[in-house]
Amino acid sequence: MLPDSSSSQPEFDYLFKLLLIGDSGVGKSTLLLSFTSNTFEDLSPTIGVDFKVKHVNIGGKKLKLAIWDTAGQERFRTLTSSYYRGAQGVIMVYDVTRRETFTNLSDIWAKEIDLYSTNQDCIKMLVGNKVDKESERVVTKKEGIDFAREYGCLFLECSAKTRVNVEQCFEELVLKILETPSLLAEGSSGVRKNIFKQKPPESDAATSGCC
Amino acid sequence: MNETFSSSLSNFHGTVRAHQLGTALSSAVMLKGKLKLPEAARRAFPDRLGSLVMGFDDKDDENGRSDLVFGSGEELETFQPNGFGLDRESDEDEDHKPSDDSDRRIRQRSDKDGASSVSASEIIAADEKRSDIAFELSQKEINLEKLQRLASLGLPDGGGLRATAWKLLLGYLPASRNLWEKELTENRLKYAKLKEELLLSPAEYARRKTEALDAMEQDVDSPADGPLTRHEISQEDHPLSLGKASAWHKYFQDTEIAEQIDRDLQRTHPDLKFFSGDSSLSRKNREAMRSILLLFAKLNPAIRYVQGMNEVLAPIYYIFSTDTDEQNAANAEADSFCCFVRLLSDSVDHFCQQLDNSSVGIHSTLSRLVELLKANDEELWRHLEFTTKVNPQFYAFRWITLLLTQEFNFHSIMRIWDTLLSNPFGVQEMLLRVCCAMLLCIKSRLLSGDFAANLKLLQHYPEINIEHLLQVAQDLSPDTSSFRLSM
Repeated sequence: MLPDSSSSQPEFDYLFKLLLIGDSGVGKSTLLLSFTSNTFEDLSPTIGVDFKVKHVNIGGKKLKLAIWDTAGQERFRTLTSSYYRGAQGVIMVYDVTRRETFTNLSDIWAKEIDLYSTNQDCIKMLVGNKVDKESERVVTKKEGIDFAREYGCLFLECSAKTRVNVEQCFEELVLKILETPSLLAEGSSGVRKNIFKQKPPESDAATSGCC
Repeated sequence: MNETFSSSLSNFHGTVRAHQLGTALSSAVMLKGKLKLPEAARRAFPDRLGSLVMGFDDKDDENGRSDLVFGSGEELETFQPNGFGLDRESDEDEDHKPSDDSDRRIRQRSDKDGASSVSASEIIAADEKRSDIAFELSQKEINLEKLQRLASLGLPDGGGLRATAWKLLLGYLPASRNLWEKELTENRLKYAKLKEELLLSPAEYARRKTEALDAMEQDVDSPADGPLTRHEISQEDHPLSLGKASAWHKYFQDTEIAEQIDRDLQRTHPDLKFFSGDSSLSRKNREAMRSILLLFAKLNPAIRYVQGMNEVLAPIYYIFSTDTDEQNAANAEADSFCCFVRLLSDSVDHFCQQLDNSSVGIHSTLSRLVELLKANDEELWRHLEFTTKVNPQFYAFRWITLLLTQEFNFHSIMRIWDTLLSNPFGVQEMLLRVCCAMLLCIKSRLLSGDFAANLKLLQHYPEINIEHLLQVAQDLSPDTSSFRLSM
């Protein structure tokens, strides 16, 4: 019933590790599901971490994206810290209808990236989700743009529900990673290991050495 | 009333501060103290082993017997006409096997096909099981050892047998039947009182506070100083106050917790009508669960509410509120609260971040799981630990803290819980066994998988025969029994 992904691993040029962070209930898991399987559904809250893989062709390259979807609640943050290791891209998600999810980005999440991110060039992307609820919007697009400018990240508004801009969130992030030589080197070194013998697969990008 | 109210509040503040200042360990101790609040919860979990006396009484016998008449499908009626997870199932029926890229977050039903074709012998066996348990529960003095033995094989769906059995297994109901009514009445009253004291609406809280302030103000003489005095008195208590002791500070904190709980209850088993959707039934259920979780959070300021508690509460509340005994169903909220506290009493430390690295914290429990696996299957252990490096934190953290409630369909969860709750060595001991068995049961797939494949497999556990899984768990190597000692 479950897909057997291990047997039919297609080749890829680069492996990138991406991370989704942000407050509980902003729609991280739904955004990811919308991206990986083109569907929208109500999901149980994420406990700990959820992991998905998606193969895409972006910028003429075959890419394998290993995406870590973290839990939003504070209790789980000691656990999430290890997921930052080796990530080439981080997506910070907030809910445009809940202001505190936006303010917490600067109060909590941006600080966490600084603290735990192991790669200085790691690309950050700010995503305002739930724009389908335009009438309930409390965070303006301008505020999002200003934040992105201040923290040096990419910015998009999207709706996991209507799928507006969902693919773009990941595409733009990945394109930027492809433009960054230091990140590219990391991604391809993982590939080399992977292609010649599945010894320690993705040890660079996808595992962490905690515990 | 006012006095009780404010004394409870000052208790909270004291505890919160102590927690912030103190070590993680002290918070656990306080927590355990706090957990005792409903008096019946004072009996420690293993105490239920103490009373093993036999007797006979047929007081509630009618209930037990009448259960025999109705089919086991009765309980399912609370859900959509076709039972559990209709929406989800129809998704699967399209049989578009999710590709590697699009694995969906679906907890699949196990034994889906087998459910409709029940053989005659299975029906007879189920009837026998049902009457054995009904008989045992009708005794004047319940033999808990015997009940544990019967329940570990699975309790019947429908009727009130599972509700009564779980209450006994959790030690909420005493073994002596003639004490049940008194015990239940007391606990239900206590719950109602706690709720009244602690879940007052903010408006009511403010009103009482204002009354108190007004009373103080009347003592002030000089009218010219009036405004200034008023200002001084309310200083610690206005909405913009930053003081931690401010009622407003607490109010905002509580609101935050309540909002978090509401958000999570909206997405508790989103496929089940009992919990989700806009029906009046589901709204009523969410309201009750909200009170339980909020009250728990207030009584345990070191832990408050942690995501996932909603999932742990769900099976209890579902079973209790679908009890065919009307009196019991009507009091499902109070009973669920008490049993939720009891169920968490030996694992609540897993929810506490400050205890993560202590001997009672989640990491220590995860290590025990790894040891258990190593003792039972070194090859698989080596493969997971060294070859594919799948850290158990990535999958078993959720398995353990949520008592497997996000890994299986609702029906299977209840079956697994029958076994967990009836383990003489405690829920946690059996939980680790089941987790280990989950790994063993998909050994060949794990051995052929790499990091990504294994992690995905373990985070989305495949369909499996639950009875087989539990049997494997029971049969785990006995030389691991030493793990009990550290429980």
